[in-house]
Amino acid sequence: MSVVATYDWSLVWDNRAALLDGLLTAAEVAAVALLLSVLLGLVLALARMSKPPVSWLAALYVNVFRGVPALVSVIWVYFGVSLAIGVTFSTFQAGVIALTLLYSAFIAEIYRAALLGVPRGQREAGLALGMHPIRVFLSVRLPQATKMAIPNIGSMFIGMIKDTSTFTVIGLLEVVRVTQNINSTYFQPFVLYTAAAGLYVAVAFLVDFIFRAVETAMESPPKGRIALLLTRRKRRRVAAVIERVSASSAAG
Amino acid sequence: MTSTLTTARAEVEPIPLPAERTARAVVELKGIRKSFGANEVLRGIDLTVAQGEHVVIFGPSGSGKSTLLRTINLLEEPDAGSLKLEGVEYGPAAAPGVRRGKPIELRRSVGMVFQQFNLFPHRTALENITLPLRAVRKLARDEAEQRAVEALQRVGLLRHAAHFPGEMSGGQQQRVAIARALSIDPKVMLFDEPTSALDPELVGEVLAVMRNVAESGMTMVIVTHELGFAREIGDLNVFMDEGAVVESGPRGFFDHCVNPRTRDFVAAVL
Repeated sequence: MSVVATYDWSLVWDNRAALLDGLLTAAEVAAVALLLSVLLGLVLALARMSKPPVSWLAALYVNVFRGVPALVSVIWVYFGVSLAIGVTFSTFQAGVIALTLLYSAFIAEIYRAALLGVPRGQREAGLALGMHPIRVFLSVRLPQATKMAIPNIGSMFIGMIKDTSTFTVIGLLEVVRVTQNINSTYFQPFVLYTAAAGLYVAVAFLVDFIFRAVETAMESPPKGRIALLLTRRKRRRVAAVIERVSASSAAG
Repeated sequence: MTSTLTTARAEVEPIPLPAERTARAVVELKGIRKSFGANEVLRGIDLTVAQGEHVVIFGPSGSGKSTLLRTINLLEEPDAGSLKLEGVEYGPAAAPGVRRGKPIELRRSVGMVFQQFNLFPHRTALENITLPLRAVRKLARDEAEQRAVEALQRVGLLRHAAHFPGEMSGGQQQRVAIARALSIDPKVMLFDEPTSALDPELVGEVLAVMRNVAESGMTMVIVTHELGFAREIGDLNVFMDEGAVVESGPRGFFDHCVNPRTRDFVAAVL
């Protein structure tokens, strides 16, 4: 009897509900962690661009957590923190915190590069118009930096979803954990893990598609259907103001 | 050397100005010094700009003229000297007990136009103007838009209100930048080589807008290599080299300058 003959791909279809549940859990953990990582990463980027000793602390954080594997991070959070301070997290919370610790370090570097990529004249123009430096940051530098950072943040998100696979170690019911459970019943590791990989790849394509759409919508001028929808009201408004002023100046 | 500026102006009566604006100084610089590391780029500059006056600063690259302009709104912080706008001290040489004004207060009264335009690329022409109006003047959206449209109309770009900087030519972008700086109602407008980054055929439209601004009575300080335009518009012409004012004079200066360095430079450029 050949080994190939024992491959039973119908297992994948039969267990689709459990697998998709696992994928959804993985995506949820990664999505929440992405939001937190962007916020924390932005703060870290600003800290790293400020004066010592704040910049040194930020650099230390970034270099430590870029190097820590997700597996270790989640073990620290789930088992370590509860031992150290007696706080226990759910597996979902532990996963979110573990990913945020790691990916905020990566996103800090992405944002730092992006902020440095905004021409100096942009900040100067804002300041020269009498805008408060915080307002200049929020309305002028941050939007332009975010546009530059979006493709790299998309790559990070794919990495985050993939890194949830290590959270099987704390029992989070993500794709790999679900796959292990099914495999313990049927013992079809090649089939089941290949299916799991297929799910990750499918999500990678989906995330890439979404982030490309966001990137296109953030072009100046905005391109694509989403942007046209979002700017339609604004364009109408401008047209109305022009109309009003031209009418009044023609009358005057 | 730097005191020649004041004496030169005292000797020669500039073009007759309406009585109400003859004396009042808008900008007063005294002994402005600035170094970048070991390199001293401003070696004690004195300059007074009267209301409604159009001051042209010219000179070779690296002479410190742009740095001087940038100290007027404190984009460059001078190391020493006095900088007054309408009598309020903003420079490091504030007399003891005198309150030194904050840079943000100064900048709200000073408009600046940059060589590279520096429009916000993620905002439409209209939004480039409404953003500072709403953020600084705290105008409501409707009022800000109304004023922005009027500002665009003034520079002849109303049709481009909804366009992004990337959709406009360099000349159009610079005209929006001028409208943006004007819209905050500055006491003085600074122009930092406003046509140097433009294709030659686009220089004229920007100069036309600047001429318009000048005719409206706006106080202007212009750093430029366009000496033809300078000759036409300059009430006070200042030649700088190596961080100091070499020579300055009123209208007709370009034909009557005496310092050999000024004469050489003018002959080479004009």
